[in-house]
Amino acid sequence: MTTNADTAIVRLEDVRLAFGQTEVLKGIDLAINKGDAVSIIGPSGSGKSTLLRCINALVTPQSGRITVAGTRVDQLTRESERIALRKRVGIVFQQYNLFPHLTVLENIVLAPTRILGVARQEAEKLARELLEKVRLSDKANAFPGQLSGGQQQRVAIARALAMKPELVLFDEVTSALDPETVGEVLWVIRDLIRDGMTSILVTHEMRFAEEISDTVVFTENGRIVAQGSPREIFHGNDNARIRQFVGGLSGARGSVRDGEGI
Amino acid sequence: MQNGTLTELFVRWTGKLGLNYEFLATGYEAQIWRDGFVTTIYLVLLLIPVSLLFGVLFAACLTSGKPWLLAPVRAFVEITRNTPTLVQLMFSFLALNTFVSNLLGGAQHNPLTPFFWVVAVVGLHVAALHAEALRAGIEAVPASLVEAARGIGFSRLEILRYVEVPLAFRTSLPAIVNNLINLVKLTTVGNAIAVSEITYASIMVWTQRDNVVELMLVILAFFSLLNFIVARIGKWVERRLAVPGYGI
Repeated sequence: MTTNADTAIVRLEDVRLAFGQTEVLKGIDLAINKGDAVSIIGPSGSGKSTLLRCINALVTPQSGRITVAGTRVDQLTRESERIALRKRVGIVFQQYNLFPHLTVLENIVLAPTRILGVARQEAEKLARELLEKVRLSDKANAFPGQLSGGQQQRVAIARALAMKPELVLFDEVTSALDPETVGEVLWVIRDLIRDGMTSILVTHEMRFAEEISDTVVFTENGRIVAQGSPREIFHGNDNARIRQFVGGLSGARGSVRDGEGI
Repeated sequence: MQNGTLTELFVRWTGKLGLNYEFLATGYEAQIWRDGFVTTIYLVLLLIPVSLLFGVLFAACLTSGKPWLLAPVRAFVEITRNTPTLVQLMFSFLALNTFVSNLLGGAQHNPLTPFFWVVAVVGLHVAALHAEALRAGIEAVPASLVEAARGIGFSRLEILRYVEVPLAFRTSLPAIVNNLINLVKLTTVGNAIAVSEITYASIMVWTQRDNVVELMLVILAFFSLLNFIVARIGKWVERRLAVPGYGI
């Protein structure tokens, strides 16, 4: 992928991060264009989720430059600045993490009304549109505990979109789902990417990554080992390690979806 | 008068059972006694919101992670939990109140009444107990849920207000209702500094009338009723706030 400073919405340069003695990211360089879908694949513990959390300043690396939509994330010093960034960057988690005491509709309108100051009526209108988009219009008044995992995850996506983010991060969003409900979540993400939403996905769904990604990034041990088009990574690759990883996954898809992966 | 005859009927009827409620037919003592009920109810109605408000405030400090907020509240919680409320009340009224009076140049300039000190001491004491219950509830909110709220762009205070406190309130509600039931009973410490709640008022009456058993029966029934109501309201709130699928 060719990228220059004008088109990159996310740019990481030599990002290094350690939790105590454990080095998690050992010099990550990555550039992502506006409107692109990028999948990050690789074995568990390779720093994929941490990498995502650096982009919306949930964790702060020790060194390196991170630029997100014109903001130098690594230079943010105050929590209020990080909060301003997070309002522009959506994130969806493996465990959905819906607010259990609020209905589906309230989950979606809470942040726009309370922290963006959007009028209630307007926020509710958008929420209902988003619910239609994720095909859960009939569940507006249900509580998260009454929904299946796949339905909860779709609400979580709608909740992230309600903030009208400039890009969305997906952190293994199908890893905790039953195999039957993985499809309905991937459907929603596929729609979103087709609509041109810049998306960064940490995923173990290789076939999905291959289908929807503009770029696939393979990480291992805190480094980006390879990146390129899905074709290059999944087929034309001469890196034995990637072939072994990808091959191993496609041979054991069911178990991958159930748990942490390889 | 209709009311007068009803009271007379009651006095005569209970008199046949050997119970002495004759003071009810008098003006002055009956008035003191009735005011005692009113004062106790007034205390309870004021103390419940005061204790809850400060309980949330203390819990917020205890879970803030900021040492300058945490340390003083932790110290206060420890002191108030570990010492008798009666002693706290006497100390507050006899020592702190006198100190305030001296500061303001004489007791006549001191606006703080014994009633105020009962509300302050009992309210903050129960708030400390609420705070511990709420803290447990706040710490039980999954870290991943808090991270998700941060990821959306909520600030620390907004997370507390919209996510942690609503969930913590649900988990700690049984403990909080217990505290409130204790609070109702604790209002009786007011009699130590001449706040004329129901026990103080009853003592006023029975020292003249020698009818301790008669008044005790009523006091016990009265507090049983108050706490029955508190417990029922607690149960009702618990049902109202129940969240499907959330293990509370």
